[in-house]
Amino acid sequence: MANLMAADAPAPVISLTDVGIRFRRNRRGRRNFKDLFGARKRRSRPGEFWALQHVNFTVQPGEAIGVVGRNGQGKSTLLKLVTGVVLPDEGVVRVTEGVAPLIEITGGFVDDLSVRDNVYLTAGLHGMTRKQITARFDEIIEFAEIADFIDTPYKHLSSGMKVRIAFAVISRLEEPILLVDEVLAVGDKAFREKCYRRIEELLAGGRTLFIVSHNERDLRRFCTRGLYLDKGDLVLDGSIAAVLERYNQDYGIKPAA
Amino acid sequence: MRPEQRTPIARYGHSLWLLTQRDLRVRYSTSALGYFWSILDPLVMAGIYWFVFTQVFERTVGDKPYIVFLLAALLPWMWFNGAVSDCTRAFLRESKLIRSTRIPRTIWVNRLVLSKGIEFLASLPVLVLFAVLFGAPLDVNALLFPLAIVIQGILTVGVGLLVAPLVVFFRDLERAVKLILRFLFYASPVIYSTTDLPPELHFWAAFNPLTGIFSLYRAAFFPEQLDWYLITISAVMSLSLLALGMLVFRRTERAVLKEI
Repeated sequence: MANLMAADAPAPVISLTDVGIRFRRNRRGRRNFKDLFGARKRRSRPGEFWALQHVNFTVQPGEAIGVVGRNGQGKSTLLKLVTGVVLPDEGVVRVTEGVAPLIEITGGFVDDLSVRDNVYLTAGLHGMTRKQITARFDEIIEFAEIADFIDTPYKHLSSGMKVRIAFAVISRLEEPILLVDEVLAVGDKAFREKCYRRIEELLAGGRTLFIVSHNERDLRRFCTRGLYLDKGDLVLDGSIAAVLERYNQDYGIKPAA
Repeated sequence: MRPEQRTPIARYGHSLWLLTQRDLRVRYSTSALGYFWSILDPLVMAGIYWFVFTQVFERTVGDKPYIVFLLAALLPWMWFNGAVSDCTRAFLRESKLIRSTRIPRTIWVNRLVLSKGIEFLASLPVLVLFAVLFGAPLDVNALLFPLAIVIQGILTVGVGLLVAPLVVFFRDLERAVKLILRFLFYASPVIYSTTDLPPELHFWAAFNPLTGIFSLYRAAFFPEQLDWYLITISAVMSLSLLALGMLVFRRTERAVLKEI
């Protein structure tokens, strides 16, 4: 995996050093105080498993990386670690630039507030000032195609519209790093194509992209580099073609494109 | 246009304010009476205690006018009580948002304390109104009001930081906290004054940080309630609780994020 870490490369925007995170297998298992406050030990306790361990890689600005692996192999966890919404049990995650996470994008939206209030709230929580949002507001609404529903409470939108407005807001953040976690599977075909074009636009603008997908075609379309996760290990870090080839070799899956 | 590069502290404040605003907006946009509710609750409580202790029983505790004496501690109590009981659900209720944004996690506690604190400030005109109606003279000690608010803020944040993460792991704690709060209401000088307690309890009452805080609030109308000994102990207790809360919060944060 050192092949991509050229010595004269600029400072990486994302770097993970020996990162590991473990989860409990049984949610109902007893927690005790010792467990909670005890020092972070390297060994795994009974009933726990390492979702990811010994993960090392760095990402240069402008790279587009696809994360590949079967369900439950730590892909989303990896994205969450990079976003900073979960913390590693060992190792260091260093992200030097701002992140626009397209992960659980509808999470910040409040049912009882209007679309307008929700846009200001969510964009604000991601660090935009009121002035910036106002400047971008029409563009966001136009992208989401819900001009008629600006003052409708969010809960009355259809589920497709909810995702559309959420994508529109987060994708306008224009942070240097964009994280995408299979959100593109929703929405109708026309809107999906619009999202793809938006992502390509962002990529062309020099963004760093980190995408989790099961869709081989999407991965080939956006990514140049791939990370293959299997059983909590980073098995292969190489070109997206090599990674997909290895993945198909291991699991023999013809993805339904 | 990138989100404006600002210092982490400015961003923290910005997010905190947005969430507090959201809380208040949701609360007031979904109920017709809005602001009225946040003052109705303490008013009804005060009305009941006033009736029981001045009309039914012969009042031997507290000061005259009793309704002002009551409200001066009841309103801050509502802040403490509301914020701490909301904190039991601080993570559970916002789990979706916590999973999708990386704002510093202490915000989920602080915003609850702040929005309840704003409601507390908004309910203060009621206290002033009753003080005028019943002719309670305002003392110069009213200038100490901000100090009381600061100490109470520290205390409430400390307790919130302690309670919020622990509830995630021990769900029973949610109900235990409600019970403890009810006990604490009677263990704190809300319907009585510390001086009404038997002398052997004075020492122990001082260790309830609310004792000193309420004495500070009350001093605005009842200067004889001012007791710097109580206030000092309550300030020290509040700061230690804040330190303990921050420690517990920091140690459990990692596990909380996995659990929700």
